[in-house]
Amino acid sequence: MLGRDEREAVLGDLIEAGEGARQAMLAVLGLVLRREAQVWKIWRPWIAAFALSVPCSFLLMGASLAVSRALQNIFATSHGLVGQPSVSPWLSAIPQALLLVGWSWTGGFAVASISRRTFWVSTVSCLVPCVFCLSRFQVESLSPPCLLLFLVPAVWGARDGLRVGEIKRASAILLAVAVSLLTIPTLHIHGEPWWNPPRWLIALTLTWPAWYLAATSETRRHEQWKDGEETS
Amino acid sequence: MLGEFEYLIVTSAVGLGDKAYGAAIREAIEAATGRNCSIGALYTTIDRLEAKGLLTSRMGEATPQRGGRSKRMVRVTGDGVRAAKEFYDAVTRISRGAAWAVD
Repeated sequence: MLGRDEREAVLGDLIEAGEGARQAMLAVLGLVLRREAQVWKIWRPWIAAFALSVPCSFLLMGASLAVSRALQNIFATSHGLVGQPSVSPWLSAIPQALLLVGWSWTGGFAVASISRRTFWVSTVSCLVPCVFCLSRFQVESLSPPCLLLFLVPAVWGARDGLRVGEIKRASAILLAVAVSLLTIPTLHIHGEPWWNPPRWLIALTLTWPAWYLAATSETRRHEQWKDGEETS
Repeated sequence: MLGEFEYLIVTSAVGLGDKAYGAAIREAIEAATGRNCSIGALYTTIDRLEAKGLLTSRMGEATPQRGGRSKRMVRVTGDGVRAAKEFYDAVTRISRGAAWAVD
């Protein structure tokens, strides 16, 4: 929980001061708690854990279910279990699956890059809704793991977020535009108007991580440009 | 402006000079104030002062009385000295006329 150097210094200080085992343990625990508390003094961990992980987890389970149903529809059609629809079921399934991957990957990446040190809290914030929904899953035609389809691209995105922390500006913008374009068809399902609040609110909640990545990569590029201008 | 505990750390580190490190600063503060100084408070405040550019720290040598563990050596910067003087001046000014103040 402490860095190598800090551990060395703190243990050395405790030995030098002749602290007993209990006092030493309390001292180290106090330091660790203070360190953790300091991390939460800024907005980043709060956004990552509670404004991103929790709502996205719920909504992405819904999107996972929609993709599972679309895949089930393909299976049923190809095996003659249902009549041939007028539009190929692949046309509905592919954009939905791509969108699920896009939303989940950008969400995972954003959570990891917004606050690395509190990533474990964000992970718990993501898993709690999953456990809650799994315990109440009652769709007979689908198995409970269908809810968790989003976890694969989300974990992939989080791993990349922890490893690289940022993506190139062009890639970030391309990704945000692609995710936004794929979102548009979801706003028109069943002929409901796009301004139907729940629908655009869901789309906005799941799309903003992609635009956050685009916006922060832009900022970083701008800062680099500014630094270059000042040094020249 | 510095906080009270920050001032105690900066001032004791200046007083200790090249021998300023965690345990020594802690001992100096406890001797001066008569109060317990927790390791947690000490190291998080040192980090904060370092982030503000008021002091720098580096890992020093290990000694046998520390079980072969290294020290975190602390050095106050010019900005740190100025900030401490500013705090001292403010306390001195506001204390003028107080019954306990020494002329």
